[in-house]
Amino acid sequence: MSALLRTISVLLTSAVAVTACSSPDASPGGSTASACAPSGGGPVTLTFTSWIPNIEQVVQAWNAKNPDIQVKVQTGPNGNGGTYQNFFNQLKAGNAPDLGQIEYDALPGFRVQDGLFDLGACDIVAKAKDQFVPWTWNQVSLGDPAAAFGVPQDTGPMALFYRADLFDKAGIAVPATWQEYAAAAEKVKAAGGYITNFSQSDINQFAGLAWQAGGNWFGNDGQKWTVNLTDDKTTKVAKYWQDLIDRKLVSSVPPWTTEWDNAYNTDQAWTWVSAVWGANSIATGAPKTAGKWRVAPMPQWSSGEASAGNWGGSSTAVFKSSKHPYEAAKFALWLNTSDEALTLLNQKANLYPATKAGANLPALTGGVAFYGDQKIYEVFAAASAQVPAGFTWGPSMTATYANASDGFKAAVSGKGTLVDALTGAQAYTVQTLKNQAIPVA
Amino acid sequence: MTQLATTDPTRTEQPPPTGPAIRRPGRHRYARAVAVFVAPFGILFALFYLAPIGYSIVQSLYVVKRTGTYGPAQEVFGGLAQYRLVFSDGPFWTSVARMVAFGAVQVPIMLGLALALALLLDSGLITGRRFFRLAFFVPYAVPGVVAAIMWGFLYSPQLSPLKPITSTVDLLSADTVLWSIANVVTWVYVGYNMLIIYSALMSIPTEMYEAARLDGAGRMRIAWSIKIPLVMPAIVLTTVFSIIGTLQLLSEPQVFRSFSSAVSSTYTPNMTVFSLSAIPNFNLAAAFSVVLALTTFVLSFAFLKATQRRGMP
Repeated sequence: MSALLRTISVLLTSAVAVTACSSPDASPGGSTASACAPSGGGPVTLTFTSWIPNIEQVVQAWNAKNPDIQVKVQTGPNGNGGTYQNFFNQLKAGNAPDLGQIEYDALPGFRVQDGLFDLGACDIVAKAKDQFVPWTWNQVSLGDPAAAFGVPQDTGPMALFYRADLFDKAGIAVPATWQEYAAAAEKVKAAGGYITNFSQSDINQFAGLAWQAGGNWFGNDGQKWTVNLTDDKTTKVAKYWQDLIDRKLVSSVPPWTTEWDNAYNTDQAWTWVSAVWGANSIATGAPKTAGKWRVAPMPQWSSGEASAGNWGGSSTAVFKSSKHPYEAAKFALWLNTSDEALTLLNQKANLYPATKAGANLPALTGGVAFYGDQKIYEVFAAASAQVPAGFTWGPSMTATYANASDGFKAAVSGKGTLVDALTGAQAYTVQTLKNQAIPVA
Repeated sequence: MTQLATTDPTRTEQPPPTGPAIRRPGRHRYARAVAVFVAPFGILFALFYLAPIGYSIVQSLYVVKRTGTYGPAQEVFGGLAQYRLVFSDGPFWTSVARMVAFGAVQVPIMLGLALALALLLDSGLITGRRFFRLAFFVPYAVPGVVAAIMWGFLYSPQLSPLKPITSTVDLLSADTVLWSIANVVTWVYVGYNMLIIYSALMSIPTEMYEAARLDGAGRMRIAWSIKIPLVMPAIVLTTVFSIIGTLQLLSEPQVFRSFSSAVSSTYTPNMTVFSLSAIPNFNLAAAFSVVLALTTFVLSFAFLKATQRRGMP
């Protein structure tokens, strides 16, 4: 055999060997050692990936006081915008960070992929359970009372942001029910604006609206998942918004774009049913409207009710591949329960804590200048207590959102309806679970 | 080792190196030298080309098994199970058809423009040739994502400085967005293709033009009968590159997804692969990638065969 041929064959063999090394039977994080004990022996450095604005400054406060547990922050796009995909790839490649920000709706997906360390094994986390608002703990325990697949960080109780100045000028009362909201939408349209923008591609907002109405999209009895994106409550919400779309009472600018910011900045959209962190989005996206917004409770389905939806909210999760789960848990607890961190997170990113005591922090009881010094967090504190407990997320929300969003986009362009979109997303979600051998009814 | 040298007679007939300090290279040395020179390419080719392809094929043959709602996944050999899903996936094949339609319109326009610009630069009719050569090429230096964002703003009804146009035609609607994306792709790649064709034009010996002029050919005739036939290999090459690029379109439509209601998560074949890997269903994504690669290969090869049959290079 010539040297050239031999060289080539060696290279080919090594290519096959590289392939073989990473053959599928070596699943990532295969060992299921769930011990949570201090590492012992010298200082440790943890890596933490998050997309919270200014998270570096919060972590700096920790690093200054904890020379033995130093945390290095990596920032990135929001979860569905790319960070989750990075996490999944990193888990597969075996180089995931120690800690990551994961929203509640994505936790089941990471657990199904066997990527999360169960912090229930850490006594310090188990002891902290009672500090959190009960429904937030449900979101991280995923049906297993002894488990915690993340430390709840913030929540996204929803309320109605509205332009008090424009409503006053047009003589429209602030709507307390969805019927009043639709009636107000007509008057706003007559005054030359849109009552709001319907989020065609960020399905989480719609999920929050369905959550408020009492919808429940997923169930898990331990044997099988159930998927129900078209239950009565969700269908009611979908039909309501379809009507507003059909009557052209809402705009459909793609959310989270400059064009969308522009619509709020130039008085074209008058309200936004959004989560507490939306306070930051309006302030940064529509700076010209400072002082003109106020916050009211979310409109209700029948007058006298008091129910609120939740949109977003994150946990701090520890990945299974972390070599220092105890130290990681310690940091996660500080980040999400200490007055210092919670105050910083609220000041830098308008995060609303998931702890019971968090609501009483001085930062969360004062007025906010952008909202005309209204004590907006009081509205959200009330809303947080009204979020129906027990809303369950499915194990492949990325797929559900992508498909539902395709359908919602078609609906706002006049092809099909929101109900059609949900019906399609239902079938697609079931198929996606089956393709991954996740048992589904 | 000896065989290599004997099968390579040109080497042995090379004049011996002069100068007393240099020893005549032995036969072993040649073999070693070849290995040394080939190794960097070979290693990189194997690591970043063969290994990933092999890995994708291996991945695509596995399926996941698990028990219980949160059971850990076990990957077991599943044969062609993933491929059955690929071939029964309607939206994927719709997106392939969409890209074929896109390519059938966009590639001829882009390469026609590139050829026209290259001929214009080569004609000597314009002054500031070096400036224009660079100017046409500059869009290629803009990353595709940045170009897509920039054009997205130009197309947006509320933000565009081209309001007279965007207020009459919705450039981001279901009927037009494909061609709006085609415009972005054309803008980015015309200069790149022009440069390839232009360098082919530069290598045509000037004697050809002299002979043609003696025969009474004008500029147009020279361009049509000499230049274009002689740069045909370059045009075929750029067409193959463009076919590959079209089927693998990802970043431009991905960016447009946030601007336009008409761009779905499965708008192009590569976007389907991308969304599947976000679930993450790596096995199915791998099967889609392999099928997409084969489709690209078949279409490129069919084009090459077709041009060869017609007597072109």
